Amino acid sequence: MTATTAPEAALGVLPRSDGSAKYSHAGYTVTASVNGPIEAQRRDEHAYEAHVDVVVRPAAGVGGTRERHLESLLQSSLSQLILVKNFPRSLIQIVLQVEDSPENDYVNTKLVQASLNLAIMPALVQTAVLALLSAGVPMRATATATAIAIARQDGAQRIIVDPSPREIETGRSVHVLAFTSHGGLLLAESEGDFTVREWDEVYETARAICCRSAPAKDGMAMLLDDEATGGPDMRHFLRSTMESKVVADLHWK
Amino acid sequence: MATAERSVVLPGETIDPSLIPSDPKKALRLGPGLRHIPPTDIVPTVAGQLVTNPVKNSMWIEYNSNRYIPSQNDIVLAQVLRSATDFYLCSLSPHTAPATLPHLAFESATKKTRPILSPGQLVYARVALANRHMDPELECVSASTGKADGLGPITGPGCAFDVSLGFARRLLMARSREDGGVGVLEMLGGEEGGGLAFETAVGRNGKVWVGSESARTVVLVGRALQETDRRGLGIEGQRRLVKKLVKEMR
Repeated sequence: MTATTAPEAALGVLPRSDGSAKYSHAGYTVTASVNGPIEAQRRDEHAYEAHVDVVVRPAAGVGGTRERHLESLLQSSLSQLILVKNFPRSLIQIVLQVEDSPENDYVNTKLVQASLNLAIMPALVQTAVLALLSAGVPMRATATATAIAIARQDGAQRIIVDPSPREIETGRSVHVLAFTSHGGLLLAESEGDFTVREWDEVYETARAICCRSAPAKDGMAMLLDDEATGGPDMRHFLRSTMESKVVADLHWK
Repeated sequence: MATAERSVVLPGETIDPSLIPSDPKKALRLGPGLRHIPPTDIVPTVAGQLVTNPVKNSMWIEYNSNRYIPSQNDIVLAQVLRSATDFYLCSLSPHTAPATLPHLAFESATKKTRPILSPGQLVYARVALANRHMDPELECVSASTGKADGLGPITGPGCAFDVSLGFARRLLMARSREDGGVGVLEMLGGEEGGGLAFETAVGRNGKVWVGSESARTVVLVGRALQETDRRGLGIEGQRRLVKKLVKEMR
């Protein structure tokens, strides 16, 4: 799948959970369910704040060290967003089920075990935020995320937004950045060789994708705009998804 | 009821100061979904529609969800889990800490004459105390007048149904047909439903008890409520649904 596909999302896909979302972008499809605030187990209980429990389930097989690492990254980022102090001694459970991930045509993915899959992080963050919004869990802010790779092509530096597995493999470094809706940096994970100057460039590109303010243009103009900056407008996407949900919920008004 | 301007807000967004009601005499009242960060910021915490009421100088966020968070003076439908020394432990929603209902929080209850509730029984109660650091506390009697005001243990044949919190709120509105757009209960009891005889108790925690001598009626009313909620039917859709269900049940 190419990087230019627009993100898609559906909210409330799981009727029995408090909130749920299904999100697909750049070849990744993730479904999330959120339950909470519910009673925490004794060992997870915290006297002053809610425990945020994140579970990542891979598309095939059971989760391993890789998933635990992703969970710990997500857990610390999402605890910053959720108003955990509002619900002491309780638990907010977020389960993320990966349904589909892009195939690398050059290697058998079943044999590649060791490496961390950073490129899936943006999809996990976006799905978790959408599911939390769908559940009506009180939050400080929303967040948007993106993945960026740096590749060397014909001796020149090239920045790739939403890289494919093949591009990550051949590229020099891959970065995942998430921003809150206030424009603050929420998560920055990098892998590979890169200079500070390159990272600054990545930061600016990611910021343009995640924190573009107030889209004045729509329709065709926006499509052209997307192509110009090389990435979809994540904040606008989040807002329009939530707007349609709110309008559907309040049809009676 | 309130000013009709559709403004959707997301958590953490800034609210346009022109939308905040400013009454020189009354204090501003913040409802669900808003938090005040001293000194001056008012920030939404959930995604929903910002609603303001200039008459009462209040503002809140209208949204729908499934998880009930207790707040004081809500009327809820609780289920008794077990009895402790001087209170009952009741469940308001699944997987949450139980609420306490003191044995003496019923109309004209004394140590000798108090209602004996068995585990599983439903109670229509008011949330007397909701504090994030403590388990919620319920009461079935008005603290000032000592009257039950319709609260108390629910008796008689019937069944409780789960609905979304937004739908429960609409059902509890004083003029639910005009303000909330729910006419399904009136229709079932009126000519569209052929004058079914039933009674209901709606809890703010998303539970509706439907009681009737006939089990058929209970199931019909419960299904009508749940379908209205899930499919988001308008008044006309509700009328069609009631006609269809009544026809099927004959």
